[in-house]
Amino acid sequence: MREAVLAVSPAAARIVRPRVMQWLTWLFFGGALLFAAIAALAGDVFFYRLATEALIFGGLSLAVDVLLGRTGLLPLGHALFFGLGAYVSGLVLKHWAPSLPLALAVVFVAALVTGVVAGIIAIRAKGVYFALISFGLAQVVSKVVFNTRELGASDGIIGIPVLTLGAGPLALDLGHAPTLFMVTLAFVGALYAVTAWLMDTPLGRLLSAVKANEHRVPFLGFDPWRVKLGGFTYSAIAAALSGALYPVLRGFVSPELLFFQVSVNAIINVIVGGTGTLIGALYGSVLLTGLKSVVGSFTAHHLIVIGLVFMASVVFFPRGLIGYAAPVLQRWLDYRAAQRSAR
Amino acid sequence: MTEFLNWLQFVLSPQMINGLSIGVAVILMALGLTIIFGLLDVINMAHGEFYALGAYVAVALLGLGLPFWWALALVPLAMLLVGYATERLLIQRVFDSKDRHTLTLLLTLGFGIVLEDVLKIFFGANPLRVETPVAGATEVVGLFFPNYRLFLMLFGGALIAAVWLIVFRTRLGAIVRAAAFDRHMAGSLGVPVARVYALTFAFGVALAGLSGVLLAPIYSVFPTMGRDFVLMAFSVVIVGGMGSIKGAVIAGLLLTQIQSISSLYISPVWSDPLLFGIMVLVLMWRPQGLFGRLGHA
Amino acid sequence: MKQLKHISIVVALACAGTAHGQGSQPIRVGVVTPLSGTYAGIGQQVKWGLDLAAKEINDAGGVMGRKLELIYEDEEANPAVATQKAEKLFQVNKVDFLTGTVNSGSTLAVGQVAERNQRLIATTVSFADSITGDKCSPNVFRVNARAGMQSAALAEWLSKEKPNANVFYLGPDYEMGRSTVAAFKAAAEGKGARTVGEIFAPLDNKDYSPYLGQIRAARPTVFYTSVAGNDTVRLFTQLSEFGLDRNLQIVGASGTVTSQNLPAIGKAAEGFVTGVGYSPLIDSPENKKFVAAFQAAYKALPDLYGADSYGVLYFYKAAVEKAKSTDTDKVRAAMRDLEWSTPQGVKKMRAGDHQAMQDMYVVRVTDGQFRIVGKVPAAAAIGPDTCTKF
Repeated sequence: MREAVLAVSPAAARIVRPRVMQWLTWLFFGGALLFAAIAALAGDVFFYRLATEALIFGGLSLAVDVLLGRTGLLPLGHALFFGLGAYVSGLVLKHWAPSLPLALAVVFVAALVTGVVAGIIAIRAKGVYFALISFGLAQVVSKVVFNTRELGASDGIIGIPVLTLGAGPLALDLGHAPTLFMVTLAFVGALYAVTAWLMDTPLGRLLSAVKANEHRVPFLGFDPWRVKLGGFTYSAIAAALSGALYPVLRGFVSPELLFFQVSVNAIINVIVGGTGTLIGALYGSVLLTGLKSVVGSFTAHHLIVIGLVFMASVVFFPRGLIGYAAPVLQRWLDYRAAQRSAR
Repeated sequence: MTEFLNWLQFVLSPQMINGLSIGVAVILMALGLTIIFGLLDVINMAHGEFYALGAYVAVALLGLGLPFWWALALVPLAMLLVGYATERLLIQRVFDSKDRHTLTLLLTLGFGIVLEDVLKIFFGANPLRVETPVAGATEVVGLFFPNYRLFLMLFGGALIAAVWLIVFRTRLGAIVRAAAFDRHMAGSLGVPVARVYALTFAFGVALAGLSGVLLAPIYSVFPTMGRDFVLMAFSVVIVGGMGSIKGAVIAGLLLTQIQSISSLYISPVWSDPLLFGIMVLVLMWRPQGLFGRLGHA
Repeated sequence: MKQLKHISIVVALACAGTAHGQGSQPIRVGVVTPLSGTYAGIGQQVKWGLDLAAKEINDAGGVMGRKLELIYEDEEANPAVATQKAEKLFQVNKVDFLTGTVNSGSTLAVGQVAERNQRLIATTVSFADSITGDKCSPNVFRVNARAGMQSAALAEWLSKEKPNANVFYLGPDYEMGRSTVAAFKAAAEGKGARTVGEIFAPLDNKDYSPYLGQIRAARPTVFYTSVAGNDTVRLFTQLSEFGLDRNLQIVGASGTVTSQNLPAIGKAAEGFVTGVGYSPLIDSPENKKFVAAFQAAYKALPDLYGADSYGVLYFYKAAVEKAKSTDTDKVRAAMRDLEWSTPQGVKKMRAGDHQAMQDMYVVRVTDGQFRIVGKVPAAAAIGPDTCTKF
């Protein structure tokens, strides 16, 4: 019934059926598993770790997409939460207990609190002002961390131990690159699943409503401020949980994880991948991490390439990779379906 | 009593005069930013890089043997061209979309990244020197101030007054303000709106470039110099009111004086968070800033 | 039948070729250094020094008959990127040895990567004491002078030239800046200097004029600073602008004035004195030969980063030749207590903490050059071994 309505209305050209998005999502995770198989056969370590890093930053990009693509807020300083997750996780793993579930739990609580506080400060502002508050908050906190000796100051914290997840016969050695990759993939997959599910709940629909027209929302009986705060806090927690995995991968944390560059990279991932599509953020992260690694080996000026790709994306392809791929895929699926029913 | 007067003369007034010279620099940066936002509704995240570009063009001109004053005159003209081209070729493409604020912010952000790297390629990563054109120091209220800084304050003040005059007392300024207020009406009255927009953007960029030249002898020239002023300039613009010239001037003076005087009492590293805190408070309680928008209030 | 014979000849030749090839396979050295960003100038000197040394070593027959091959990656002075690139070099390019990291955060993080990949790294630039101190690692070596050595040399000179001076300290407000100031302050006060003031300005601070009033009021005779790069250019220019550099001896850390920012500081740097491990004006035959070769190849003078990077390849060569292998454990054992010749004289690698010992020089900037005005022997400058991990 829904599909019939969508097929009839003229605006349907821009509306993508949910099935196509699911298809693209399975493609991503299927592709990741295929990559894992190939890399395992080749006995590789570096590309596994590079891919794990791409997934971790993909998680951050996913969090940014929840804000940018679904709520209409541009966060220029989301590295704040990513770095917060990384530092808290690193400290827990090094000084408390080398247990990943414990670290994730502590990070969740810390991100919840910080997210609500930061949200209250930032949400009042709209549009560009929100972006600048977000930027300023990240700047201030990163400077504080950079100067705090207890947090390792400018050198960061090294010596975070290699972890083992689970116990006994089910123990997973996270120092083993393929294992860590699979665990991270599962984690990011779960994060994506929860986020996608959330977008279909009333809260998620309200976020879209706020993005579409914030002034009308109160007339429907909802408080846009609370809706935005909820979305912001969720995004903060997602970013922090992704950040929590970073020290597990690299064994250290440093203040650079809070810098503007990290926030900008996440935004670029979202824009290039496809704002609002959620899976686009993950595609974007993988694409750009790969691009940076390849271009970086040839020239020291890879920033120009990334910058130009970004600008081209904003000007010529504002809907991003998935934003364009999805309708094309949909038309192809329609064509196939039409052919099948014609027979 | 004498102790207080001494404190006033030897501690407070030098700090205030220093704050004034920094303030003039910040206001020049913020003016360009606020004009571009006030008229075009465009957030120019590449403003710092245009500032750096102006300084580098000056370095190139000085390298060709031209004296500083020639560079001071030529750089704004060069930056006008750069700004005009940027507006026509880049900004125009995303101008008419519903998400203009976000898209221009992102586009100029990307442009800033590219511009910074280009500067690094052409000029290298190491800092460069621009000789002070006005050497020596003068005694003011019992203390020495470099002549160039005094010159900067006077020249900067004159420049700010000139900008205000152009915007509020000339026909050109009236046309620009009309286009900001209602572009369709202005267009139907025969104003070439697209060209006016491009020229205004170019003007804002030229102001940034001019600041770059003026400040180069004091702050030296290197590829990431644009980041010096970013947070400060945006804070001034937000506190003063995006699009308000009066707001940029008053907020600029206010914030730099706060920064200067507070550095007497609190550790210098807290001055940035302090300014940011003020910006956040203003945004929470009076989001439109102290004064209204160009053409609107 | 004839075909089989042909094939077998080809196969035999191929095997012979490979067997021969094993012996003359190049030794790969990975270089993770900032080629872009604020530290690109330092990375450039590192690259020049390494390239020159590699060329000389290869022209003279290589290391144990094998040529040295350098593979570069840009770390952007960001430890997150440095670890990624280091891992790439270890895993994909299979390098035997790694060097080039500049900031201490990167060196520490890459050291950890080296431990996990069972390889050795050496730094030629990072001078944070912690690298061979409380955060030392059995896989990390340092061939350049550390901060403590620089302070010791400078404090020694100061106590002779300006005994019991009034010293004002200004440093950038971050860990490195503060600890450098603290180290020198301890050394100077131990030799009779008096502290008349201390300020920590934010990193990347553009205007120091708010602090100049305080400096003037304290009336120091000596001014110590640990700022670096662009901050130095601004500080010195502004001190000179306000006339504060008259009758004031300015001293600082060795990273404060280097060949990267000296041209931009210009006249304002005249008279600046620091303790450092190298000057192009060192009067020894090895240094003269090195400087001449460097200038011929790159049309620029070497600075401490270039000289130490040049020296690290000779260090590695000496260690491999002593161990007769590139195996990590054997090379590590060979590196301990190893002495090798460098443009700065003979250096010895202290086994206890993997810190190279060398004579330290006190240089003054005169007419745009780093003239030597003092020298402190290695044993006096090195300081205690605080590494307890091995």
